[in-house]
Amino acid sequence: QAIDDDCNQTGQLLAAMLDWPQGTFVSRVELGAGSVRVEREVDGGLETLRLQLPAVLTADLRLNEPRYATLPNIMKAKKKPLEVIPASELGVSGGSPRLKVLQVQEPPARAGGQKVEDVATLVEKLRHAGRI
Amino acid sequence: AMAWRAAPRAAARLLLGRRGIASCIDPSVGLTEDQKEFQKVALDFAAKEMAPYMAEWDEKEIFPVETMRKAARLGFGGIYVKPDVGGSGLSRLDTSIIFEALSTGCTSTTAYISIHNMCVWMIDTFGNEEQRRRFCPSLCSMEKFASYCLTEPGSGSDAASLLTSAQRKGDTYVLNGSKAFISGGGDTDVYVVMCRTGGPGPKGISCLVLEKGMPGLSFGKKEKKVGWNSQPTRAVIFEDCIVPVGNRLGAEGQGFSIAMQGLNGGRINIASCSLGAAHACVLLAQEHLTVRKQFGEPLANNQYLQFRLAEMATRLVAARLMVRNAARALQDSREDAAVLCSMAKLFATDECFGICNQALQMHGGYGYLKDYAVQQFVRDIRVHQILEGTNEVMRMIVARNLLQG
Repeated sequence: QAIDDDCNQTGQLLAAMLDWPQGTFVSRVELGAGSVRVEREVDGGLETLRLQLPAVLTADLRLNEPRYATLPNIMKAKKKPLEVIPASELGVSGGSPRLKVLQVQEPPARAGGQKVEDVATLVEKLRHAGRI
Repeated sequence: AMAWRAAPRAAARLLLGRRGIASCIDPSVGLTEDQKEFQKVALDFAAKEMAPYMAEWDEKEIFPVETMRKAARLGFGGIYVKPDVGGSGLSRLDTSIIFEALSTGCTSTTAYISIHNMCVWMIDTFGNEEQRRRFCPSLCSMEKFASYCLTEPGSGSDAASLLTSAQRKGDTYVLNGSKAFISGGGDTDVYVVMCRTGGPGPKGISCLVLEKGMPGLSFGKKEKKVGWNSQPTRAVIFEDCIVPVGNRLGAEGQGFSIAMQGLNGGRINIASCSLGAAHACVLLAQEHLTVRKQFGEPLANNQYLQFRLAEMATRLVAARLMVRNAARALQDSREDAAVLCSMAKLFATDECFGICNQALQMHGGYGYLKDYAVQQFVRDIRVHQILEGTNEVMRMIVARNLLQG
């Protein structure tokens, strides 16, 4: 989930471009010789995969505990230099965004439901609405 | 998996309350960006490293050395001590904010950390270069712990009448006497001791730094206390205890002044600890009033309880403003700093005890059970109205300012 558009694509796109295996939503990592064993947080629970290295991994929040910032580091943070490097200097072409936002809309307001007499009518209405 | 949304950081919850809306008691109001960061670290640390253990530390009387050393690694061991000897070099206001936040996790432990900080500051400020380099780095990292030794069995409020004598013999002092109610006593390594090198009264008092292991230095039994149980309290006994002259901070006769200047900051720190406890208790009360039902509705529907909660919140904010105002005066070296510190300590410790006590009352019978945190906050902050200068002595200081000016 990129911090700008939350699209859940960056790691996956990178892996595809590099043709490397991917382990996304990783909550546990075990490096082996030439491969890595990862546990992924999926809707149904946990999925364990072994990926050949090199691989792309994206981290789930359960992967580790962030360190506390120390007081001296907090004070130094403001003074750290922020170097801005234009994409052209890195020899990267096509640095302009390829995603265009066409429209943003709210989901439709929730409409009232319908009560039906029997199962046959229910099936017929669902079919009519294209749900089955 | 939108898991990140499901786990609000404990710190955010403490600041924003249950509904995620900045409330009237938000302690981050008016702070700089840096101060908000310090506060966040301290609140996170309090929620993760202290709050889950505060009951156990209280019940088993555990001095949580490893947790305090973890805090020291973040810079909490010498918050207002200069960086060249390992301190964090922050202001008194920054310090107040940090102790207030840590106190929400465990008031007793935070209060000890503040006493430790006070001692390191005294050595940092009044010690010579050799003393600063000898003592401060290992204290800032909490490799070693410190205790402040002023009170004696015969001199509490009348501190300047202390009797522990330090007789000069060549290039040493020989100490005889005892100190009472010393926080950390017996477990700590470094003792900042006010003793009499000269005549009677404050001008005859000097400040010596002693170390555990010095011959003639021993400790009384561990006291059994109503609260502050995560720090041991013992008498400190000197029997022909030999201390090198090189361990004296500042000049002979300067000791009382050093002690009092230490206490100005100490009073702000203790008051800040009271603020944290009171804030935690307001949130506990708010939660309980919403959840507990009697007579067919949540307690929160009762106007009496609504009004009491509102009063608690109002007094908390008032106390916080007093404390932060005093912290600013002290860091700006204003002439009225000492009396403002006394006022803040008096007001905040009294008000916050009232807040915590009222929160306990709102919990009904549950408030009296040790399964519920509110009683520990009440027990832990009760002593804040007594030590670092009783609230009666605070009144003396304010009255003197008004009537002798």
